[in-house]
This record gives sequence, C-alpha cells and structure tokens, in this order.
Amino acid sequence: MIELKVVSTQKVIFQKEVEMAVLPGTEGDFAAMPGHSPFISSLRPGQMVIMANNKVEESFFVSGGLVMLKEKVCEVLVDQIEPLSDITNSNFQQSKTYQELEGNDLALNTFEQVVNTPSYK
Amino acid sequence: MPNLKDLKTRISSVKSTRKITSAMKMVAASKLRRAQELAESSRVYAESLSLILSSLSGGSKDNSDLPEVLVGRANPKVALLIINSSDRGLCGGFNSTLFRSAVAWIKDKKSKNIEVKLMPIGKKASAFYKRSDLEIIENFEDINSNDRQLEVSENVKNKISELFESQVIDEVSILYNKFVSAIAQEPTFKSLIPLEQSESEEGSEETTNSSFEFEPDKNELLEYLIPRNFMTQVYGCILESSAAEHAARMTSMDNATRNAGDMIDSLTMTYNRTRQAVITKELIEIISGAEAV
Repeated sequence: MIELKVVSTQKVIFQKEVEMAVLPGTEGDFAAMPGHSPFISSLRPGQMVIMANNKVEESFFVSGGLVMLKEKVCEVLVDQIEPLSDITNSNFQQSKTYQELEGNDLALNTFEQVVNTPSYK
Repeated sequence: MPNLKDLKTRISSVKSTRKITSAMKMVAASKLRRAQELAESSRVYAESLSLILSSLSGGSKDNSDLPEVLVGRANPKVALLIINSSDRGLCGGFNSTLFRSAVAWIKDKKSKNIEVKLMPIGKKASAFYKRSDLEIIENFEDINSNDRQLEVSENVKNKISELFESQVIDEVSILYNKFVSAIAQEPTFKSLIPLEQSESEEGSEETTNSSFEFEPDKNELLEYLIPRNFMTQVYGCILESSAAEHAARMTSMDNATRNAGDMIDSLTMTYNRTRQAVITKELIEIISGAEAV
C-alpha cells in the first residue's frame, strides 16, 4: 500500500492508503505504487484514479498541479480537483470546479472529455 | 464638587463602550479560530511545495544554472517591499509595530543605495504610505474574505513576476505579522526574490541527497513552480497576518473591556461619595437652620 495525500492550496483534501493511483503527468500518465523510485512531476489536466484489485475504485478530475512521489508516500499538490462519482454529462457544467476554471479552455475541454469518455473506468 | 448628573451620564457612556469592546472581543475570538484553522490547513501545501523546490534547486551546489528569480541578481538596485497590514484598526499595536520595522528596513536599504518601492496590502498600510515619498506600485485593500485573499495573492504573484522580468525590481520581500500565540505577534520579513530556503533542515538530507527523477526536466519544472511558490508564500503570509490581526484585536479589546470596568468602578465610587456629601451638606443646613431659630 502507498499513502496518497492530496492537498490543495487551502487544505488537505484527503489522505489514505491505496494500492495504486494513476496520475496524469505532463509527459504521460503514470502509476504510483509502493517502491516507485523518487520522482517529481507536474500534472496536466486529466483524470486521476485510485485502483484496487485492478479495478477503478475512485475517479477524479484534476486541473493541474505537482506530484512528489517517494517510496511509500505520494503527495499530490492539486490546483482544482473534482470527484467524478456524482458528475454526469448533464451536470458537470454546474460543478464548482467547472466554474472556477472558466477561461481555461484546455482544462475545460479535458474535463468534458474525462466526464464523457474517461480513459479509466 | 463634581456634578451628580454629569457623573451619571459618564458612567452610562463608559458602560456602553464596555459593551462594544467586549462584543468586539468575542467576535475577534471566533474569527481568530477560523483564521487559525485556515492558516494551519494551508501550511501543508506550502511545506510540500518548498520541499519540492528545495530538492529541485538543492541538487546542484553550483547556483549558476538556476534561474535569476530564485537566486537573485548580483547587484540589486531596486527592492520591493510588500507590507501586509490590516484593513481595520482597533487592534492595539498591530499596525504600528509593523510600520516601525518597515521604516527601519527601508532606512537600511537606503544606506546600501537600494531604492525601495512598496506594495501595501490592507487599508492601514496604504493610508500610512500615501503621503510618503516612496513609490507605491499597487494597493490591495479589503482582504477580509478568503476568496479575496486568494485573489490578492494571485494578483501580487502576477505583478511581481512581471516587474522582475521587466527589470523594474531586483528584490522582493514581504513584511507581515507572524502569529506567535494568541497574545504575541511578531513583525517578520520574508525574502521572495532571492528565495529564502526556509526551515528545510528536516527534509534536506532526505530530499537533496536522494536522486529524484524529474519530469519534465528541472528547468521547465522550476519555471512552473516558482510563480506557484510566490502565490503560496504570499497567501500564507496573508492568512498568518489575518490570524495575528484577530489575535491582536482580541487581546486589545480584552484590555479595553477591563479598563472600562475599572473606570466604571472608580466613577461609581466618586458618584456615591458625592451623593453622600450632598446629603450631609443638606442635613447640616437643616440643623444649623433649626439652631438659629
């Protein structure tokens, strides 16, 4: 298990032990698992997922940020994050994240894409 | 002999002042708790960010390949001071101690032939420096709500990045009241350009020695990270200063409430004495009148 810690500028969003987390790095998606070599990357807008037993357990949209990955800890500093469990094609434009990202077309398009056709499901 | 009626109105006016100060104290106390929580929870992000930053810049002993905005320019000519004051008064020496240290800092810079420009945050600082001969780059006021605090830090970040790029300024520092405890605040300077490598002792061994891989490469990451770090630092200072402001207001209003209580006591004493004296005087008049008959 690896400790996944997701933090925004204002607060710690959550912190828990996970089997594996997949993150949208600037140069491609990568998976955070225990024993990964120390690694720092920036994030592009995209889908972040928590996996358990080869299945997607939880899914999020992140608008960007930074990751610091160490052997047993994965720290994710996010700009905006939105859990996708309650988000559907019809209501994603009302979400707080969508409104905060106004003007950032790249992130908004990715958000839409993640909602409609997620890479991991 | 003091007039009885005057004393009575005086007492009642001090009483209503006491009501106001004690209400302000209560409001400050509850706001302090919120502000403290906010400052505390935002600290996690700031700490992680500075850890990443120090592992990025600490890897190489040689500073020459790092961007100027991190290590600073060799011969600084213009320094920018961001002064983080409060919007409102009635918080004891909160702002005046801040300005006192600012004055000393500016004097020190001048003696080194460095020109100082200012960026006041909060109404009190803008009012204080309006008439000074120092150049004010931009004012930020009304920093009470959290959304506004974020917005201000974003604007400050954009402004200083832009000014540094265009060579208008060579150094940036921020002055704010650090929240030490509920009864103590301390004016503190923090240098943003060049960046102060703050309290990373605990993490330094672990991070700088272990070889992190970077994606994209170091310089690109730094480019992305440095402005973000400005914003986080400024935001952190604003939150800290707002917690300190509420703490200062709470203690000074507590003192004021106590002083008002003391004053009411002594006024009531005078009032009673005077009343007694008036009665005695009347009695004497009656008795001496009766004797004369």
